[in-house]
Amino acid sequence: MSHTGGRVPDYESERRLAELRQTASQTGRVEGKGVAVQGAPFPQASPADGYYGIPLLKEPQWKKEVPLYFFVGGAAGASAIIASSAGWLSADRDLVRKARWIAAAGSVLSAALLTKDLGVPSRFINMLRVFKPQSPMSMGAWTLTVFSASSVSAALANFLRAKELSAGPLILLENGSGMLAAASGLIMSSYTGVLIGATVVPVWNRHVGTLPMHFAASGLNSVVSILELMGHEDNRALNRLALAASAYEVAQGVAIESKRDRVNRPLQKGASGFIVRIGGLLSGPAPLALRIAYAVTGNKKLRRAAAVSSIAGSLLTRFGWMSAGKASAKDYALPLRPTYSKPEAPIKLHERQDRAIKTSA
Amino acid sequence: MPGLGTSFGRGGATTAQQDLQFSDAILIMGSSMAENHPVGFQWVIEAREKGAKVIHVDPRFNRTSAMADYWLPLRAGSDIIFLGALINYVLRNEKYFREYVVHYTNASTILREDFQDTEDLGGLFSGFDAEAASYSPETWLYEGAPVRQPRKGKHAGHSDVVGGHGKDRGGEAGDIGEHKNDPTLMHPRCVFQVLKKHFARYSAELVERSCGIPQEKFLQVAEAYTSASGPDKTGAICYAVGWTQHSTGVQIIRAAAILQLLLGNIGRPGGGILALRGHATIQGSTDIPTLYDILPGYLPMPFFESDSKKLSEYIEKHSSKTGWWSNFDKYIVSLLKAWYGEAAIRENEFGFNYLPRVTGDHSHFGYWLDMADGKLHGLFVMGQNPAVGAPNARLERRALSKLKWLVVRDLVETETASFWKDSPEIQRGEMKPQEIATEVFFLPAAGHAEKAGSYTNTQRLMQFREKAVDPPGDCRGETWFMYHLGRRLKARAESEQTTRNAALNALTWDYRTGGQHGEPVVEEIVAEINGYTAADRTLVPGYKELKNDGSTACGCWIYSGVMPKKGENKARKREPQGRYGHGWGYAWPSDRRILYNRSSARPDGKPWSERKKLVWWDEDKKEWTGFDTPDFTKTKPPDYQPEKGAKGDDALAGDAPFIMHPDGVGWLWVSSGLKDGPLPTHYEPLESVTANPLYPSHAISPVADKKERADNAYAHPGDKRFPYILSTYRLTEHHTAGGMSRTLPHLAELQPELFAEISPQLAIELGIENGKYMVLTTPRGIIELRALVTERIKTLKIDGRHVHQIFVPYHFGYKGRAVGDVPNDLLAISEEPNVRIMETKALVCNAKPGRLPRNKRSLAIWKQDLKRPA
Amino acid sequence: MTTTGFLTDSTLCIGCKACEVACKEWNQLPDDGYEWSGHSYDNTQALGHSTWRHVKFVEDTPEPAVGGNLGEQLPAWSFSSDVCKHCEVAGCLEACPTGAIVRMEFGAVFIQPDICNGCSYCVVSCPFGVVQRNEEDGRAFKCTFCSDRQRAGLKPACAQACPTESIRFGPLDELRDQAQDRLKKLAARGIEDAVIYDPTETSVEGIHALFLMRGDPRTYNLPQQPEVPTIYQKKGWTSAVIAAGSMLALALLSFLGESK
Ligand SMILES: Nc1nc2c(c(=O)[nH]1)N[C@H]1C(S)=C(S)[C@@H](COP(=O)(O)OP(=O)(O)OC[C@H]3O[C@@H](n4cnc5c(=O)[nH]c(N)nc54)[C@H](O)[C@@H]3O)O[C@H]1N2
Ligand SMILES: Nc1nc2c(c(=O)[nH]1)N[C@H]1C(S)=C(S)[C@@H](COP(=O)(O)OP(=O)(O)OC[C@H]3O[C@@H](n4cnc5c(=O)[nH]c(N)nc54)[C@H](O)[C@@H]3O)O[C@H]1N2
Ligand code: SF4
Ligand code: SF4
Ligand code: SF4
Ligand code: SF4
Ligand code: SF4
Ligand SMILES: [Mo]
Repeated sequence: MSHTGGRVPDYESERRLAELRQTASQTGRVEGKGVAVQGAPFPQASPADGYYGIPLLKEPQWKKEVPLYFFVGGAAGASAIIASSAGWLSADRDLVRKARWIAAAGSVLSAALLTKDLGVPSRFINMLRVFKPQSPMSMGAWTLTVFSASSVSAALANFLRAKELSAGPLILLENGSGMLAAASGLIMSSYTGVLIGATVVPVWNRHVGTLPMHFAASGLNSVVSILELMGHEDNRALNRLALAASAYEVAQGVAIESKRDRVNRPLQKGASGFIVRIGGLLSGPAPLALRIAYAVTGNKKLRRAAAVSSIAGSLLTRFGWMSAGKASAKDYALPLRPTYSKPEAPIKLHERQDRAIKTSA
Repeated sequence: MPGLGTSFGRGGATTAQQDLQFSDAILIMGSSMAENHPVGFQWVIEAREKGAKVIHVDPRFNRTSAMADYWLPLRAGSDIIFLGALINYVLRNEKYFREYVVHYTNASTILREDFQDTEDLGGLFSGFDAEAASYSPETWLYEGAPVRQPRKGKHAGHSDVVGGHGKDRGGEAGDIGEHKNDPTLMHPRCVFQVLKKHFARYSAELVERSCGIPQEKFLQVAEAYTSASGPDKTGAICYAVGWTQHSTGVQIIRAAAILQLLLGNIGRPGGGILALRGHATIQGSTDIPTLYDILPGYLPMPFFESDSKKLSEYIEKHSSKTGWWSNFDKYIVSLLKAWYGEAAIRENEFGFNYLPRVTGDHSHFGYWLDMADGKLHGLFVMGQNPAVGAPNARLERRALSKLKWLVVRDLVETETASFWKDSPEIQRGEMKPQEIATEVFFLPAAGHAEKAGSYTNTQRLMQFREKAVDPPGDCRGETWFMYHLGRRLKARAESEQTTRNAALNALTWDYRTGGQHGEPVVEEIVAEINGYTAADRTLVPGYKELKNDGSTACGCWIYSGVMPKKGENKARKREPQGRYGHGWGYAWPSDRRILYNRSSARPDGKPWSERKKLVWWDEDKKEWTGFDTPDFTKTKPPDYQPEKGAKGDDALAGDAPFIMHPDGVGWLWVSSGLKDGPLPTHYEPLESVTANPLYPSHAISPVADKKERADNAYAHPGDKRFPYILSTYRLTEHHTAGGMSRTLPHLAELQPELFAEISPQLAIELGIENGKYMVLTTPRGIIELRALVTERIKTLKIDGRHVHQIFVPYHFGYKGRAVGDVPNDLLAISEEPNVRIMETKALVCNAKPGRLPRNKRSLAIWKQDLKRPA
Repeated sequence: MTTTGFLTDSTLCIGCKACEVACKEWNQLPDDGYEWSGHSYDNTQALGHSTWRHVKFVEDTPEPAVGGNLGEQLPAWSFSSDVCKHCEVAGCLEACPTGAIVRMEFGAVFIQPDICNGCSYCVVSCPFGVVQRNEEDGRAFKCTFCSDRQRAGLKPACAQACPTESIRFGPLDELRDQAQDRLKKLAARGIEDAVIYDPTETSVEGIHALFLMRGDPRTYNLPQQPEVPTIYQKKGWTSAVIAAGSMLALALLSFLGESK
């Protein structure tokens, strides 16, 4: 409790109060002009507002490491797919090498970020105590483990091959673990959507059917862009992939924006809405337009700009969804509705007049 | 508790909390039982679940109201109007239990011709001495009762005892003589008719006008409560400090006693008056008192002026010829024997003159005002925190600075111990630590789990408790401290054999000690309290064995029987049996759980009804029997009639259940023993926002002591500076002055800050927002607190005006984890005439939004408030 | 062992908070800070990592009380002691990746503190907002159903401390019957708006901590239709599979054009 600040009653307001009291005690009501009547309303509990508007749900307690992990892991997963696809179908060995390295480095960074989030390194080990298909978090942990192992060994094999050591077994190793990395990479880039979608947080929950695709597209978009910026700005396959991913992001953005209701509000309004919108703009319309312009003009600067935009957009998107989730969990009214996540069951709830009080004076 | 003492004979709850489950209606008034006695409240819930109606009358809708069938808000301080109206309702609608009233109360007793009522004299009873501001009780006597002449300059009547708690015994009337009765209750001067006349103006309309309760709601509740009484039904009343802490507190309880006697609700299962007492052993601390005016077992402390040097005269004055108090001599002599042992001999009147004499008002407030005036040198504060808990705490803290030394023994460093460095007076620059000469000693005390001892709880039940853990460090229990302090004082006195030291030298102080720190053996103290024969220290089985010749010693006669044999401490027993749990602890007297339980049977000894049987006469065994220890001479048959001139208990008939009283009946009318009248009558609180609707010229109690002085100023009637009623109360989450709760994280977090509960109407009127700060002022002080705006607080319409009430929990102070200003800075020191308790439940204040600076500017704000036009 | 449960009966609760304090004492929990809320008498506000029992104070729900001579509106005050529901199908347990959350022999949902790694996934998987991670310690905490006490044959501390038996503890099926009896008894006393909160119709399939209260449970922040988030996984994984498939196809197609 602090004992500083605040208004000290002065004689003038005193006098006015005296008059007010006079009328009040005679008539039982006050009609004084210019008197700021602020006594009521005061907080009340109700079926619509719940318990004094105190959030029913707990806020997600993930900090910046987790959205960062979503970004890194998503990009790394997509990178493994590119590495393998290119490995089979493309002659660009440098692309394959870089993609392998991105996947490997990303997987290691992912593990580091997760460990950071847990606080104590040894705690990550507990993730592997059990294999629990009904827990997306468990699935994620196992996927990350397999992905790290396979992408790191694929990258190593690739490195050794480049040193022209006994090629045979190394090729086998690179391809084998590469395939494993690609397979787990597919899950890596999409499972985080399931992870947050299959929770009680209304806004995440609402989008559980599209979040995995959204995150996969975002991961693909970002890693393609990274590869482009690493010198593959002429690769047409990459450009095609980026175009597809950006186009998907445009569709996703339209989908988010088109439905305006209380559940979607954190994606549209407030700080979280701002991040989501900027993220969406940078991952969808902006790179799409830039890439089309690049196709028309052939100006590589435009393609580079598109790449930068996609990376930033992808990063912001994850942070946007995280903060939207936090804002959504704070919405006291949503969880009181029956099945708030189903858009087909709209329940008209009156908007809460802001009756909550600020506790600091 | 003279309200109960004078009405029934003993100053203790007449019933046990468990007994509430047998009630058909429970009236809780003057207490928030669910909040302050939550464990006992389970029996109220139990009764409610069985269909009993629970009625809560409280100005504040609180956790008790939430559980009640009816809640009636009332203006704080209007209780006697409400209860008077209930009495009137009972009398007018013939709701009283006639047979009970005729046989077991003094309804039929005829009063003196020269008695005049407040209704005749506009607010005064006859016998008022305006100069002394006190009453002579002579005209209140029964017709024909002999008048005792006072010793020096006091009023004639049966009692001129100056203290208050002595009256807990209710035995003042002594010899009430051959009084006349009219069993038809028709005689115009019989108590019943006088009662009817006295309460005639206490109507439902008056309740509506002055308490703020709608008439029809009042009538609904009156009907609900009174119809749940009779041979087959009983109702109980529970109260606590919402009644006692008024300038008319004792009379409020008297009104409840009258109501219960009229309805035949005393001494019967599910009936009674449950005085919900406070601190863990507050009952124990009046039984074996920490009060200045009584000795253990409600024997009065001798007074300097009125009690002569002669034991025989003291006994003559305080005992009665008939009824239990005829044994007075045995109890006082045994007490003296317990204290002075070998030095108490017949020749020196058993050391009667070793006892100090009361020379004036030595109650808390009496000596604290002396302290404020610099008349006191040193003070021990043990288990109390007056810097927070006492009214006009600002005065109390300033008074501490006048001491030479102060010893505080407590579990934590309380506000009292740190007044010289942390108090608002220091923050505001009124006092400076370097200028305060008081030397403060803080001694750490052992908590209740760290020492053995006993509690006497709200229902007179003594429960022994073992030590669970050793106290840490230098912490010591009270017995250790008192024993060793006494030992050292005695050692010093021994070397100075002066008259002044005679009492100390005579005092027995020979308890065995043991353990690492020389703790006295507590069971030895219990043995002394129980009593033993002087010759060989054999324990006595009960108080009936005590003698007046010095052959027995007993530290507190009412507790006698708690340790009837060596090694058998009944307070330690944990084998409950039967519906009242006999065998768990020990209830004084003689393990009776329901007092006056003879009245649960008809005059002929048979139960009033099967449903309500409790104690009855067993014709075959020729003795009283039942579910409880009979509160009656076990073998005295119902048809016993005393011989003329019989003394003591033998003078009481077989159908006289109130055995402590000289006439053996419950007193609707109290002929002596109370300072403010034989009947309750409504006076406004010492500070009030309304006029007295009954006695315009005697607004407040004519005999209450306001202790008015510059540093204890009052708002005068109609004072516009202070337009709101202020009342203080308790929170379940905190305990009293907070030393034991605001310091504990698990309690402090539950109510972390001081607040006031106000109605939305007042909030609007003052522009105060929920959760924001506000400032309260009275002529005594100023505090800052937060506003809790709630519909639970109702603005009432009193005498055509809208009256707002502001409620403040009083627990807060400047130490501990949960801190706040001290609400008691707002209160006044005042004394109810009988027990000298202060008025905390109804006073007036001013309120405004805003905060208070922590410096001398706050004093300026206060002074400005006081200067506003009155 | 029989499945045990709580029946927390708000019509018997006097809001004394003894349960809340007893829980904290037994489990040695820290305080939640000293903030005054202005929400009636509730300053601890919600369940969380340091509050496993929480008493709610709802002002103004119907009670047969009689008001003053000015107000037509009758005040009322209801108290309800909240706790982890020990769901039949528990979101927290389903979601926990480490197997830290287990079902005890008496049906409790218990977090093994030595196994919890603090991933906080349970936090977003509880439809009742019960479990929370302690940011200092890094692990998640909630009511243990006094598993330690139950194993030793004792009542949970909260139920033990409750003076009015507002918290009843016992075999779950018996409590379900008692709850029904209680409704009938209340109806006989003219209290018709009492309800039992036990969402058996949803994917939670019922709870082991039943609540009885008057009025709408939503006033006490009890969701109308709590669902275990596991049920949304099918939709999520389908989307993930589509995403994976499309991504793979896209990548292959893109590079096919560039073949060696
Ligand atoms: N949790 C807890 N329990 C306690 C204590 C504690 O501090 N905390 N203290 C203990 C002690 S020492 C005591 S003495 C008891 C006291 O127990 P209570 O007497 O129950 O305590 P209070 O809350 O002070 O006052 C009771 C009620 O009186 C009401 N009241 C105020 N003015 C009036 C009035 O004019 N008329 C009537 N009829 N009612 C009025 C108040 O609104 C309040 O609800 O509690 C004991 N139990
Ligand atoms: N405004 C207002 N004022 C009131 C009241 C009210 O209703 N309104 N109520 C009044 C009433 S009923 C009461 S009882 C008083 C209470 O007022 P106080 O008696 O002044 O307050 P407590 O906090 O109970 O003080 C008891 C102290 O004893 C300490 N203690 C506990 N156990 C032990 C022990 O074993 N040994 C020692 N040495 N110390 C121990 C505690 O830590 C605590 O500090 O307040 C009165 N003041
Ligand atoms: S604190 Fe002690 S005396 Fe008071 S209600 Fe609780 S158990 Fe009873
Ligand atoms: S209420 Fe929440 S924390 Fe408790 S068992 Fe159910 S899902 Fe788990
Ligand atoms: S925080 Fe602990 S209990 Fe919760 S899901 Fe993670 S490992 Fe399980
Ligand atoms: S069961 Fe135990 S842990 Fe759970 S709320 Fe009760 S006391 Fe706390
Ligand atoms: S202990 Fe019982 S009565 Fe007290 S708040 Fe908890 S549930 Fe309610
Ligand atoms: Mo008290």
